[in-house]
This record gives sequence, C-alpha cells and structure tokens, in this order.
Amino acid sequence: MTAIRIEQLTKRYDRSTVVDNVSLRIEDGELFFLLGPSGCGKTTLLRTIAGFLTPDNGNIYFDDRLMTQVAPKDRGTGMVFQNYALWPHMTVTQNIAFGLEVRGVPRRERERLIAEAVALVRLTGLEKSRPAQLSGGQQQRVALARALVIRPNLLLLDEPLSNLDARLRTEMREEIRRVHEETKVTTIYVTHDQKEALSLASRMAVMHRGRVVQVGPPRELYQRPRSEFVANFLGETNLIEGRLIQANRDRVSVETQLGMLEGITTTDGLKLESRVQCCVRPECIALESAARSGPNRLRARVEREVFLGEVRHVYLRCGEKLLTSYQLQSTMAASPVGGEMDCVFTAENVVVLPRE
Amino acid sequence: MWSFCRENRVALTAELRLEFRMRTQIVKLLILLAFVTFLIYPIAYVFPSALSERGEPYEVILMNAGPRAEELSQLFYQVSLEKLPATVAQNLELDDALSVLQAVRDRGGTARLEGKLRPTFFYVRQVFANPYLWECFAASLTVAVATTLLTTLVTLPLAVWLTRFRIRGQGVLSVLLLVPLILPPFVGAIGFKQLFSRFGTLNLWLMDAGILDGPVDWLGASGLWGLVLVEVLNLYPIMYLNVAAALANVDPSLEDAARNLGGSEWTLFRRVTFPLVLPGYFAGAAIVFVWAFTDLGTPIVLGYRRVVAYQIFEKLSEAESNPLGYGLVLVTLLLTAGLYSIARFTVGRTQYAMVSKGGVGTTARAASPLRNTMVLCYGGLLTVLAILPHIAVIMTSVAEKWSFTPLPTAYTTDYFVLAVTHKLAGMSIRNSVAYSLISTSLDIVLGVTIAYLVSRRPSWLSSLLDGLAMLPLALPGLVLAFGYLTCFYRPAEWLNGLGLDWLAANLQPQKSPMLLLVIAYAMRRLPYMSRAALAGLQQTAPVFEEAAQNLGASQGRILRKIVLPLIAANIVAGSILTFSFAVLEVSDSIMLAQRENFFPITKAIYVLLARPDDGPYIACAMGVLGMAMLAAALLVATAVLGKKMGELFRA
Repeated sequence: MTAIRIEQLTKRYDRSTVVDNVSLRIEDGELFFLLGPSGCGKTTLLRTIAGFLTPDNGNIYFDDRLMTQVAPKDRGTGMVFQNYALWPHMTVTQNIAFGLEVRGVPRRERERLIAEAVALVRLTGLEKSRPAQLSGGQQQRVALARALVIRPNLLLLDEPLSNLDARLRTEMREEIRRVHEETKVTTIYVTHDQKEALSLASRMAVMHRGRVVQVGPPRELYQRPRSEFVANFLGETNLIEGRLIQANRDRVSVETQLGMLEGITTTDGLKLESRVQCCVRPECIALESAARSGPNRLRARVEREVFLGEVRHVYLRCGEKLLTSYQLQSTMAASPVGGEMDCVFTAENVVVLPRE
Repeated sequence: MWSFCRENRVALTAELRLEFRMRTQIVKLLILLAFVTFLIYPIAYVFPSALSERGEPYEVILMNAGPRAEELSQLFYQVSLEKLPATVAQNLELDDALSVLQAVRDRGGTARLEGKLRPTFFYVRQVFANPYLWECFAASLTVAVATTLLTTLVTLPLAVWLTRFRIRGQGVLSVLLLVPLILPPFVGAIGFKQLFSRFGTLNLWLMDAGILDGPVDWLGASGLWGLVLVEVLNLYPIMYLNVAAALANVDPSLEDAARNLGGSEWTLFRRVTFPLVLPGYFAGAAIVFVWAFTDLGTPIVLGYRRVVAYQIFEKLSEAESNPLGYGLVLVTLLLTAGLYSIARFTVGRTQYAMVSKGGVGTTARAASPLRNTMVLCYGGLLTVLAILPHIAVIMTSVAEKWSFTPLPTAYTTDYFVLAVTHKLAGMSIRNSVAYSLISTSLDIVLGVTIAYLVSRRPSWLSSLLDGLAMLPLALPGLVLAFGYLTCFYRPAEWLNGLGLDWLAANLQPQKSPMLLLVIAYAMRRLPYMSRAALAGLQQTAPVFEEAAQNLGASQGRILRKIVLPLIAANIVAGSILTFSFAVLEVSDSIMLAQRENFFPITKAIYVLLARPDDGPYIACAMGVLGMAMLAAALLVATAVLGKKMGELFRA
C-alpha cells in the first residue's frame, strides 16, 4: 500500500502542453479520482504514473522512492485499461495468471491466488472461458482481477466503466467500491463522468487543460467550488454576475442586476468593487408564491417546467436571466407556467467566485 | 507501397529505457547490414560493371608459383612471391603482357591478366547501337507494351461490368478470373507449346479436318504474338485485381452527379470514372509491363531467343570478360525503376482525391439477361483460354506418348512415379523443398521483425528497413540473379586468400549455389511475408502489449506469449504463400543453379524438357505436382486471410 507524490509534472506533445505543472499528493489506501472533460490530460497523467510515458519535467514518488525513470514493468502498479485489453487467445485463468507467472509464483500458490481473485470479483465458474464469450461487465471484472492478483502498490483505472451501458455501470460502480473496501489498495481512477467521481471518490482532482483546478473531497468540490469551471462541471448551477460591494469576515454582499445577493467566498483576495459570479445550485432554490423583499430573494416568472419523474426542472425568467430550479416532485407548492414566484435561497448556498 | 505503411502505422507510446532502445537499434542495424550485403550491393554492383571496362595498361597477376618457383622469383626479383596471388608486372601493353604471361607459363606457374578499369558508356550504348541487341530490346519492349495494352483491353470491360452491374453468378466468375494466379506461368508455357507448335494439337486438328494442308507456325511466323498471348493469359488476373479495386474505390456519388447532369454512360466513363481509376490502373500496368519485359521462363520454353531476358541469361557465362550482360541488366534496371517510380508518383499524388469511399453495392444496377450472358460467356471464355495450356500439361503428364497426334494415344501414371524416383527429378524436388523451407524460415524471422519494428518502434530507420523489404517487389528476378552471380566473385577470391575456403565456395554459384539460391528466394519473397505480418500487427491494438508490460513482462515474453499468438494466422498464411512461390520460382533458379546436384524443380524441368524420350513427360508431371501444391497452398491461405488475398498481388 503506497502513498503517491507527484511534483510539478509536465508533459508536452509537439507544441501543446498536455499536463501542465501538476502537483498532487495521494494518501495510502485512498480511492482518488482524476475528473475532467476529454482532452484535459487526465489519461496522459495516468499513463505517466503507469510508466508508459516519461514526463518532460517533474517527478513521481511512490512512498518517497523516485519512480520517474522506472520502466512500467518494474513499478508494481496494476492497470485496468479502458477497453480491458484482455488477451483474446487466453482464457480467463490464463489472463489472470500472466502477472503471477512473470513473478515466478509457483503453481500451487498461483492457483490459490487466482481462485481468490476470481472469487473477489465474483466470477467463479467462468475461469475457462475466453474473453469473447464474456459480457462487458464480466470482462471488466476479469481485467480488475488480473490487475489485483499481483497485489499491486497502486491500482490504476482508466475510464473503466465508459464501455458499459447505464445499468451495468451502476452495478460495476458498486463492485469497484466493494473491492476497494476489501483490498484497501491505493487507487487512482480516471473518468469524465462526475457521478462516478462524486459517488466513489474519497478525494478527487478536477483537471482542465492540463492543470489541476481543485482537489478535495467530493462534497467540498460540489458545495464549495473555487472556480467557475468546477462549479459548471460538477452538476448544474445558476451563474449570476455582479459587483462585490461589501465583505465582512465570511459573508459578502453582491449587487447584481437581478437584486442583492449575500453569499460566502471560497477563494481569498476578492477585492471590493471587483466583478464576481454568484453560483446558486438549482436544488437550493426554493419557490414561494408570496412576494417579499430582501437579499437572496428574486422575483421571477415561470417560463417552462420539465417533468423528470422524481424531480421537476423549473425554468424561470428573472430580468435578462433564465434561472433553473429543481423541485422534488413531492413538493406541494405548484409552479404554474406564466405565474410569478419568489426564488429563495440561503447565503450558505451562494458561492461567490471571481469572474473568469 | 510507402503510403500503405505510413498511413496505418500504430505507434506504441511506451518510452523505453536507454538500454532497451540500444538493443532495438542493434537489431535494426543488423537487418540493415543484411539488406545492404544481399540486396543493395548486388544491384549496385551492376552500375560500375556496366559502365566500365578493363583494358590497357595491363598487369600480370601470378596465381600459382608451381614447382619451379625459384626460377619465377629470379624472373620477378623485385617482387616478393611469399603471398600469392600477387601482382608481378604492371603498366604493360597487351603484347608485352601476353609475353610475360607466356614466360610465367613456360616456368610452370599460372597467372592471369587484369586490365585497368576505365569508365565507358560503350556497353550501355551497345544495347541501342548494336543491331542484334537493339532488336532484342525492341522485341522485349514490344512484348511488354502489347501485353499491357491487351490485358487492359481484356480486363477493363470485365472489371467495369462486374463492379457496376449485378451479374448473376458473379461470385463464381470473380473466383474463376483469379484462377491463372494458381497456375505457374513457366508450366503453362510448356502446355502452350504442346498446343501451338508446328505439330501441336491445333495444327494437327486443323490438318485432320482438312482446313489446313500443312502446319502453320503459329508461334514463329506470327512473330512475338505467341509470347504476348502467353503473357497476357498469365498476367490478366493481376491487372484485373488492380483495376477492380480502383473501380471499387471510386465514390459512386461522383458518377451519380455526372448522370444527374445528363451524361451518357460512355461520357461518364471517359470523363469521370477512367481518370479517377487511372492511378490504380497505372499501378497494375506497371507490374504487368515489368513482368512481361523481364520474364525468363516463357521465352526459354517457347524458344524466343531474341528478347532481353534470354540475352542476359546467355551473357551470364562471359560476364567477367564481357560487360555487355551488365549493360543489358543496367538498362533493364533503369527501365523498371523508372516505371515503378512514375506509377508510385501518380498514385501518391491523387490519393487524396476520394472524399468518401465508394460502397459498390449502392450503385450496382441490374443487368439485362443479354448483358448477363455476355459477361458470363466472356469471363468463361477467358478462363478457359488461360487454363487450356495447363490442361495440356496435365494431359502430357499422364500421356504415355503424345507426339504428332492431336491428343495422346495412351495414358499412364508412370511419369508421376518417375518424377519422384528419377535421379534428377527426385533430387530436384528434395532440393526445392529444402531450399524453400530454409528461405521461408528466414523470411518469417526477417518479415515479422521488420513488421514489428515498423508498427511498434517507428523511426526513420524502421521506415528505411520497410522500404528495403518492399524493394524486391519491384526487382525483376533476372537482375538480382545476375547481381548475385557476379558481385560475389571478387569477395570470394579475397576470402580464399584469407583461408576461408568453405565460406568462399558458398558464395560462388559455380561451386555451390545453395547459399545464394536460398538468399535469393528469401529476398524476393520477403515483401509478402512482411506485409502479411504487418497487416496482422495493425489489427492488433498495442494496448495488449501495454497490459503485459504493466504486469511486469519482459519484451521477450511479450513477443512470445502475446504478439506472436495474436498474429499467428497471418504468419501461417504468409509462410504458406512464400513457400509455394519459392518452390516454383523461375529466374533465380535457372540462372543461379549451375551444378546438377543443386538443381531446384524449375531448373530440372528446364533441363528435362530438352532431353529426348521421356524427359518432357517427366517435366510435365513435375509441373503438375507443382501446380497442385500451389493450388492447395492458396486455398489454405485464402481460408486464413480471407478477402485480403488480393492485396498481396497489388502494387
């Protein structure tokens, strides 16, 4: 079980910088996520950690051992590739056995470890099948077993669920969580799917254009984003422009075209009179029919409602802005199209960010 | 050829430690060395040899001192005679040199003259200036041009019909059209002679039927047309494959646009389809032209001496003293290289023209019953004509006696038995199999290595190796054989001087042609093997190897347990083809195998044909065995490679 330290890692391809001065610390036993849109450099970063790429700058340490120049085969990592990379000419057992054979594990021991790994991923009974005979989810499990059976220091998962359909994805997500809890292996998981990250990560890093934008536990990133990008990338948000007019301790006041807003800051150094964005999550906006005045209360007209089963998306026009509010279907309050409602939210739920 | 490799290269993104990179570099350099020694050097040797001659002033080289060595050392007191061969006299005019030579001989020694090397264009010019040589050159050119034009005329309509119309039975027809590929051309020429010679089947039938009074010399009087006809019947499938593929690649919407704007079918073909098809056609035409120009087997069998290929063959024995052979080879080489360059240039330039690839099925129109029948008849007739000579060969092999009668009078299987038991025939079969097995193994190792380097360790050196591996496709066997025969003569002498007689003997075909034969086979078949392996590697994602690397496997283990099993099918198919083509190889075998013990099958057939009595019958039996083996090999290879088969015969 290993802690990973990445210091100022940079990787360039031709003239573009794919990984830009990334520094991260991953604790022993964490399920750490690298989350970001396509092309943000997360897979490149993962492959550099695996050893398939050599960085142009910076260093990687496994438990204070310098690993930057070490060949992939000597790093002691186990990797699950996006398309599993199960060898088609080998059976499940042979695929899993490969890493053990390479390490010279004697046959008895090998068979025991393979049986253990197969049981861990719940594939007992399919040992003699070939990959082509297995479903996507089953192949996924074989890939996982193959990586884990060698007792790696570090488990690397490269978008492992992206090739599965929605239902299977949810199921496999739980499998991965269970396996992680049982084995306690330090895991780095790369994905563009925020639901995966939010539900599984102990800590996550959001990447954008080669840089790490914010690191922290999922809840912190979701509720206290420190940039517009993170606020937009995780879940939905309403962004209202304004001017910072007052700041005392942790509360700030922002004057916007729609009205006066009071909120909290997550970043330091916001100057008075500077332009800011106020982020309010749709699920934090309550709708009241009674019109009252005060901060964090905006009068708007309901333009459209979208019914999605357990939740309703309500679109309200306030001045020039279209606001989104999520209402649980169980909420008694009706929001008729065309009617005027007060959008109400608390200061805790307004995150004030610098304008990008 | 180059574009095939560059477009589809998949780079393994691993960056390796310096130590491992060095190992790969060493392998690359070793392969490069092999290519330089056995491909570049023999070809390059032709140039200075054709462009120079030896003349005054002469020097006398003492080879052997003989029993009266003291007299010689007195004669040549200025020169130490410790190490022989040694130069004992220099700067002499011819007469003086001859006197010295005589003086040596009188004293019991042996010596030879060596003239000074002078550059000259004389021998190259002779190809065009000498009336006899010019006649041969013009004849070869005529044959090549005529063959190309005829094959175009024959296959173009067929290709257009089969790709633009839905013909009933077109699956069968497509396969039938490729049948001549299985038939070794050398063997077919034998059958052709049987049918069309002065007392061959056609003449005898016509005389029996009273249509002719005396035999007509179809082969001779019609000039080169016999040769042209045989070549056309051998080569039309290659042209067909290239043209059909080019047609299939034409975006149908381009043609539909023309139709929409009101063009007639002929206008459509002339102004839209044909220009778009031209590059692919050109590639096929280049192959056909070069093959027709440099074919040795057919002229030999049919007795056409006045073609470049035959002349080169005859000039072989005097190559050391008479550079005319080199001159011929140089001209052939330049012609071939020039043609292939032009073909590749046109293909490369217009490749981008296709915006969307055509789906042929989308515009295939239904054919009227008349057109349907016409196409089927045409294709059938063509196939029958192509097969006819080979049927004649089969019949000869089972005929007890077949001369001066239209058909054999009696049948026997004796000759098949003889083919295996007869001293010359049986030995040649064993020889061919042995040589081909060794050369195929060489090809597997080289081909797979080069394919792996090109697809997984790309660099300028890998691309160079790949280009060199493809070079033999453009190289007529004639040129390579000539090169091998001549370029190792001096190094062999030098090796003799070093005391490495056994090694030197293997480089001299007069003493032991085996090594050079095996290498010649290996070199000329290498492109097929490396292409088959490359195709397999391109279909195998590098991620399989990365997964193995991640789990700690060394490069050797990865190659053994992951890469090779995954491309096994391609390797097997490639080896089967390589083996079969090596066994039936003509030019190199005939030219290089100069001692009877070492004859491969094709040389034995050539020799047996000239022998009286049952020689020709045994030769035909051997030919039939060869055909059967090639057919079986192609079937197996097709089963393994599927649709890709056709690609092996295209440029």
